[in-house]
Amino acid sequence: MAQFIADRRDVDFVLHDQFGVSNLSKHEKFAEFNKKTVDLIVNEARNLAIKEILPTRKIGDEVGVKFENGQITVPEEFKKAWEIYKEGEWLAMPEDLEYGGQGMPRLLSMAANDYFNGANYAFMMYPGLTHGAGKLVEEFGTEKQKKLFLKKMYTGEWTGTMLLTEAEAGSDVGLLTTSAKKNDDGTYSITGAKIFISSGEHDMSDNIIHPVLARIEDAPAGTKGISLFLVPKYRVNDDGSMGEFNDVVCTGIEEKLGIHGNSTCSLTLGGKGECIGTLLGEENKGMRAMFLMMNEARLLVGLQGFSCATSAYLYALNYARERIQGKNLLQMMDKDAPAVPIINHPDVRRMLITMKAYVEGMRSLLYYVAYLDDLIVVSDNDDEKERLHGLIDILIPIAKGYVTDRSFEVCSHAMQVYGGYGYIKEYPVEQLLRDCRITMIYEGTNGIQAMDLLGRKLGMKKGKLVMDLMVEIQKTITKAKGVAGLEEYAAKIEASVNKLGEVAMHLGKTAMSEKVLSAFAFASPFLEAAGDVILSWMLLWRAAAAAPQIEKKPKDASFYKGQVKSLEFFASSVIPISMGKMDAILNTNGAAVDIEDASFGG
Amino acid sequence: MEILVCVKRVPDTSENEIEVGSDGQDIDRDDLVYSVNEWDNYAVEEAIQIVDKVGGKVTVVTVGDDESEEVLRREMAMGANEGILLSDDAFESSDGKGIAAILKAAVEKGSYDLIMTGAQADAGAGQVGGMLAAMLDQPYASLVNSIEVIDDKKLKVGREIEGGNQEMNEIQMPCVLSIQTGINEPRYVGIRGIRKVASVDIPVLGASDLGIDSGSVGNAGASVKVQDYFVPVFGDGAEMLEGSTEEIIDKLIELLKAQGGLK
Repeated sequence: MAQFIADRRDVDFVLHDQFGVSNLSKHEKFAEFNKKTVDLIVNEARNLAIKEILPTRKIGDEVGVKFENGQITVPEEFKKAWEIYKEGEWLAMPEDLEYGGQGMPRLLSMAANDYFNGANYAFMMYPGLTHGAGKLVEEFGTEKQKKLFLKKMYTGEWTGTMLLTEAEAGSDVGLLTTSAKKNDDGTYSITGAKIFISSGEHDMSDNIIHPVLARIEDAPAGTKGISLFLVPKYRVNDDGSMGEFNDVVCTGIEEKLGIHGNSTCSLTLGGKGECIGTLLGEENKGMRAMFLMMNEARLLVGLQGFSCATSAYLYALNYARERIQGKNLLQMMDKDAPAVPIINHPDVRRMLITMKAYVEGMRSLLYYVAYLDDLIVVSDNDDEKERLHGLIDILIPIAKGYVTDRSFEVCSHAMQVYGGYGYIKEYPVEQLLRDCRITMIYEGTNGIQAMDLLGRKLGMKKGKLVMDLMVEIQKTITKAKGVAGLEEYAAKIEASVNKLGEVAMHLGKTAMSEKVLSAFAFASPFLEAAGDVILSWMLLWRAAAAAPQIEKKPKDASFYKGQVKSLEFFASSVIPISMGKMDAILNTNGAAVDIEDASFGG
Repeated sequence: MEILVCVKRVPDTSENEIEVGSDGQDIDRDDLVYSVNEWDNYAVEEAIQIVDKVGGKVTVVTVGDDESEEVLRREMAMGANEGILLSDDAFESSDGKGIAAILKAAVEKGSYDLIMTGAQADAGAGQVGGMLAAMLDQPYASLVNSIEVIDDKKLKVGREIEGGNQEMNEIQMPCVLSIQTGINEPRYVGIRGIRKVASVDIPVLGASDLGIDSGSVGNAGASVKVQDYFVPVFGDGAEMLEGSTEEIIDKLIELLKAQGGLK
């Protein structure tokens, strides 16, 4: 069946069978979101994504954004999709009704965003950044800032960005030099130059609202002296109307490998000394604000990468079913044997099941992190809320780092299934592979995600986060052991979880020893191994939900059987490799650290 | 104006691969994604636009199983005011005439100035609108691609006819119109609309509620039955005539004469 973004059956399975999304409607806050509403929302998100957003994906790539005379234009086709998206009020799905949101469970908004991002995530970065900027205003803004900006942002009338990076302040944001000078009226004059600003300038909205990191005069050096400001492209009068141009000038855009539909801008603030911002939150607490928003931003990037993977998998699957090439291996010697669809070839099947298992596991993981947020909302127990927060904190580096790494691999497998056609622009997977690549870099490179996991999350609350996660995984293992046919795989996964615990202890200790550098040289392998184990947990969870349905629902039997096969494949063919990866981590060989710089050659 | 729009839940053609089932009696329906029939969706949009202009109410109705309720709710989220589900085991496997008879019974339970159907649905017969009009003894226009309200008794309707032409008619209400795609640009359904209809109860009417004799509809009452579904095999020998229209006509006449089709 020819779907091109996300397998609807799979989306429904995760929402209903795995996480029981409509149970959330028992809580007053989500009362409206019963099963019928959930299904309608997914239907309509899918409908809009396929009919209006998907057709912009190739155009966005080929036409791209244009920069002329300081103005940026997006492809004309983006504008219609943008208007319909705004009219449908899809921008702030989980947010408060009061500010233009829809009060929807985050889990459900993930499903809608799965379709939207899968259709064209470069386009979806305009509302995505707007949403993130809106969240900053919602969390840290004064009543006045909320009144002036929030609803206009959550409804998409004005869009938003995030101005962190400067030429000399990338991963090390503490080096930034953009300055803020306090004026008599309490506002600040902002001066500086920012780069790599996604959606930084475009012609889809009248005003663009930039949250900007800058240093107030005489503030401490490094991250401790950074404050957050709200800087609109056009000033906003007290009555909400737009005022004068605020001296935020786009000086150029980047030519990138992918996401050509999104404008990646260089912005000069206050080049004429006329850029005014208002403080968002407290002075010198800008980084704290950033950190609070980071989980959501990183989860979104995980979803962006994943959206390329899910789409690439479906294209490859459809192609493998249609492309006729080569005889069936069992009929190789028969000169009259007909050529068969390439899905019959074992190596193609290996790639397809690899993609399938990763895509399914990653979808579950991303939705799960969103679901944890909903569980926080419906819980009235502070300890439980804190536990759930901890689970989110420890899973975020996996949901961003591991998911985007694997997503790129899935895109590469998809290209391989297409053969030479995968490498040319006539077919869609080369764009997906290019678009996917940036998700491994921005919003904290995947190396930084690995350091976050090892250096921060592992030791948080004396290891409680890891322990809580292990407990959750063990619950699924115990349940799956009671499901006929899954015992063997549950046992394999249990062994890998235990080994991961051992590895975490070892690496945590090594990071406190004189071998600290060697430990961090294994941060990425550790993220990868942890990701494998967590993915296998998700596949086990899915199979445990699917296996009992095989007999009960013959119509869906092939889907449910497919879940057990994904688990079987992963537990039998991937987890043994993960065990080997973990052996390597336990060795913590020091070659990468010990090798002399000169010995790298060159 | 009271408007009734007849809608149907059908496989969504935008992302489905339709294949004939192994028994040759139907398409393979496992794993298909369903949505509202495209033509019907244009009809609902047109009804909403008319009511926006002249006031009144739009009711959507469908014949189907429990799952068909979702298309009614969807069209209500789009802006229709009410929905009615006509559902009964006795309705299963109705032919076009059976569906029209069920709809007729539903129409007679209300008071509608205008009834709209899509020009056709998944079965492709395009027959329900015309049959319904005949059973109700109301005037009927097919393939309608424009509607203008003249007064509360009359409409001016355009019909799509051959050669890209449009035929304009006046039609007395109550009447039945079957709507062609392209008559408007149907709006998308947003979250607000969905939330509005989330908890609305949609009445379900069965054969006895409608006063229908179970034997007259469904499989029992069907005069048309599916014998076989198959994908035609590619033939050969087709020849594409090229050139200006005159040249093509000349060649065609020549060919027809040569083959004995024209004397």
